Amino acid sequence: MISKDEIRHLGWLSRLELTDSELDRYAIQIDEIISYFDKLDNVSLTGSDPACSIKKVSELRNDNIHVFEGDPLEFSKNRKDGFVKGPRMV
Amino acid sequence: MPNHLYRLTADQVASGIKNRDFSAQEYISQILERIEKIDVKINAFVAVDKKGAAEKARSIDKRIHDGEHIGGLAGVALGIKDNICTKGLKTTCASKMLEGYVPPYDATVIKKLKENDAIIVGKLNLDEFAMGSTTEYSKYGPTRNPWNINYVAGGSSGGSAASVAALECAMSLGSDTGGSVRCPASFCSVVGLKPTYGCVSRSGLISYSNSLEQIGPIGKTVSDVVMLMNAIAGTDENDQTTRATAMETIPNTMSLDRIPKYSLNQNNRNIRVGLVKELVEGADPAVSKCIYSAVDLFSRSDCKCEDTSMKSIEYALASYYTIAMAEASSNLARYDNIRYGFDSNPEEYEWNTYFAKVRNNFGEEVKRRIIIGSYVLSAGYYGKYYLKAQKAREMIKQEVKSLFEKYDVLIAPTMPILPFKFGEKIDDPLKMYQIDIDTVVANLAGIPAISIPVGFSDCLPVGLQIMANEMEEQTLFDVASSFESIVDIHKSPEI
Amino acid sequence: MEVKIGLEIHCQLTGLQSKLFCSCQCDYRGKAPNTNICPICSGLPGTLPLLNQRAVDFASMISLALGCKVPDKVMFYRKNYFYPDLPKNFQITQYNAYGITSIGVEGRVDYGIKSTKIRRVQLEEDPGRLIYDTSFYTLIDYNRAGVSLVEIVTEPDFAEPKDVRMFLNKITSIIEHLGVGDTKLDGSVRCDVNVSLEGGKRVEIKNVGSFRDVEKALGYEITRQKTMSVRDIEIKSETRHWDEARKVTKQSRAKEEEEDYRYFPEPDIPTIVLGNEFLSSLKAKMPELPDERKIRFLRGYELSDHVAQVLIDNKELADFFESTVKIYSSSPNEIANWIVSDLLGFIDDSKREEGSLFSGLRIEAKHMAELVKMIDQNIINRNIAKMILGQITKTGEMPSYVLDKMNASIIDSKATISEAIESIFKSEKSAVRDAKQNPNAANFLLGKVMQLTGGRADPKIALNLIKTKLAIME
Repeated sequence: MISKDEIRHLGWLSRLELTDSELDRYAIQIDEIISYFDKLDNVSLTGSDPACSIKKVSELRNDNIHVFEGDPLEFSKNRKDGFVKGPRMV
Repeated sequence: MPNHLYRLTADQVASGIKNRDFSAQEYISQILERIEKIDVKINAFVAVDKKGAAEKARSIDKRIHDGEHIGGLAGVALGIKDNICTKGLKTTCASKMLEGYVPPYDATVIKKLKENDAIIVGKLNLDEFAMGSTTEYSKYGPTRNPWNINYVAGGSSGGSAASVAALECAMSLGSDTGGSVRCPASFCSVVGLKPTYGCVSRSGLISYSNSLEQIGPIGKTVSDVVMLMNAIAGTDENDQTTRATAMETIPNTMSLDRIPKYSLNQNNRNIRVGLVKELVEGADPAVSKCIYSAVDLFSRSDCKCEDTSMKSIEYALASYYTIAMAEASSNLARYDNIRYGFDSNPEEYEWNTYFAKVRNNFGEEVKRRIIIGSYVLSAGYYGKYYLKAQKAREMIKQEVKSLFEKYDVLIAPTMPILPFKFGEKIDDPLKMYQIDIDTVVANLAGIPAISIPVGFSDCLPVGLQIMANEMEEQTLFDVASSFESIVDIHKSPEI
Repeated sequence: MEVKIGLEIHCQLTGLQSKLFCSCQCDYRGKAPNTNICPICSGLPGTLPLLNQRAVDFASMISLALGCKVPDKVMFYRKNYFYPDLPKNFQITQYNAYGITSIGVEGRVDYGIKSTKIRRVQLEEDPGRLIYDTSFYTLIDYNRAGVSLVEIVTEPDFAEPKDVRMFLNKITSIIEHLGVGDTKLDGSVRCDVNVSLEGGKRVEIKNVGSFRDVEKALGYEITRQKTMSVRDIEIKSETRHWDEARKVTKQSRAKEEEEDYRYFPEPDIPTIVLGNEFLSSLKAKMPELPDERKIRFLRGYELSDHVAQVLIDNKELADFFESTVKIYSSSPNEIANWIVSDLLGFIDDSKREEGSLFSGLRIEAKHMAELVKMIDQNIINRNIAKMILGQITKTGEMPSYVLDKMNASIIDSKATISEAIESIFKSEKSAVRDAKQNPNAANFLLGKVMQLTGGRADPKIALNLIKTKLAIME
């Protein structure tokens, strides 16, 4: 059983400020889903690890400079003297 | 000037414009009119770029008039799923977290479409961040099935499939992580392909689950899908997970007619077809009936078709969702409303509080997946879930590989059920996940899979799914177009 | 009391042109905020990391130079946590909590007579920078985000700060000789230092900003812990940070709970196959390492261990030495000594931070070569040579030119020297009396003669003449 507290903790880990009613609702739904995942218990952990893509060093990006034209953060709404403005640290 | 230009297939449009049977402007204005008229009923588009489309059409016509060279898709109207970055055009993933976001760069596939002179008419609706199977999780409201607007269009690329079915554009691009191109293609009775993993660049595709997803073409016919694939497929230096296709390609240069990498030849020299029985037997009788009739027709045309089994299917859904949600929880971490997002002043908030507050604006389904994703990656559960899911994935890959030693293609229903009414599954996430059972295998194994219309039941579409070995898109196209010509469904919904 | 020290060094690969995962310039210093960025390193949606080939080369070279084993395949992982300087709110790194996947493991570095074991070497990306502007908001600059870092982790093998200093000198030398980075550049290295006393709880001092500060921080922290221990105060396992201004370690804000980083393989970066061919071609083109070079200096030039070590510890000096010897090869030992004793004295320590030891100095190898040649040919003595050296570093003039201007050639004419001695004997009558009693006091008179002749008298001849004169006096 996945508890409301565990959900709240996971929410925190993921920076989600969940409301109480969300916590109630999600606890039940997520518990059901995770229980479905328990099917995987029967899968053995032996065997090699799959790799979706493999490359040689020579196939990687060359160490050249390319300047991006324009400002990637042009449309950011919170700027000050070129910096990006964020919330306070303490 | 012929009416109903919007009814034409992509290759008919391309050759019609090239041969000056009609102009690009004529065509595009009909398309835009069509969208204006019927999209209120369908809700496939989240944004329409009337100005841009008209300008592009104008410039194409001028170049034709001046005898200049034009690209292979010149004038063809394309819709783009709103999780693919289009420079200068809002790209929102149907989420508040990207409200008003305008990318400063084009996805590689968009660059390629522009090189081919395709006309992007607008952005298409999706489940928020591509997480869903019905497009009911969109901030813009659901997309309706053109065949019956009380029914879901499928998802997450609901807008992409519905717009093509409703003749609002000739072709579209969607993305497929666990069936998100094939599912709506099946529900809307159009053709949709999920390419081999690594076949099409993901640069500019806003990530949901990066080891599973691919951008995929949707069209009315297999031929159209081939045309679109030829434009977008290929390695990309901006995506290190792309790999070279088996076919001969020419170097990527601007506006040259592309020699089709894929072609349509229908010599089906003894294709060996395997029907995955777990998937057919697990489907609704209405669906399996259609599948069996299609198979029957096909078998009569000199093709060996036999039942086969895929035992590792039983782990497919658990493996898929574990991996997808794990990757999603990380891919979506960047949405902290600092550099992009919705309007909100971070001043005076402490940063942890600010992050948690703004991020609660994700939709419910997205939040659920982020939480579960964090869970299966967390220290105590990594081995039990994530690692096992990867092992199960490897098992499925191996089994698929061995099946392709016996068969050239595997077939199954695309969806285990017919399209259903809005709201039917929305309160039960697990029930919703289970409709992906037929499609997730191809994503897990990284193999190509296509859905083609194969019949109707109670006026609701049924799709047949054909899968081939990795990088064997050509085989897929060969078989799919054979099926297509045999099954011979040529109709559009009345809207 | 037994002390155990371990290090975690983060070193920027400033030898690269571009960043680790994008083509933005690696050198961000002095740029206006957010002008050295692109969609990838600023974490825009839809972007994918593009691994820099040369970064893999550099990291492999560092691994080899530190005696590590390099695996056949390397992978990257995601370390997931939220922080405003992290554009993606995860860091792409090679560290994996579930197994070793770094580009180098189980190495060993000798420094002096001791050695330390290297636990791992890995590649990862640097985050952006935060400026705590006011109590209302923070300002963020992503110019540095995505710069390549190599993390070097040692076993807790060090027993005293002095050892750590020697080790860090060695690391600096290795990195300079490989040409992959420059540890003297501002912000190019950061160290986390772990200290514990006699098997007690471990304290971690994070983000010490330069190698030079590491020894200071260690000194302070060990004293702090020893003091507490003597007073029977419990030393808690904690994280501290080094306050550079006040030169103390301070307690960091306690974290609410241990962060769970949820490591998993980075799906956007393929597994990279290294292979024997790659490694052997890398070994073949690797620059000469400090240890090899030192051996060559000892054997080939017959330098003393101490002198050779000083040269090796500063690649620039070693390079200067070899350039000089190339021009004038007869007295490598003399040249080396001049560099290590005299020239080093002219190098302003504060300039060390600016990158080149020689910044502000106008001396080149050709000057040093001619100077030593002139000494060997007895044209000048060492005192004069020192004065000329000072002049060269300021003006860049050749020694022979300076000498002409100074008219400082050695006076070896007995007649001239005798004159000077006469003069001194007249003015230093009491000293002369002392010298008659005590032969050693003759040195005082010699000093006066040297002064009078502007340092030009040949001291051997002068002393002999003085002694002779003393002997024949009543």
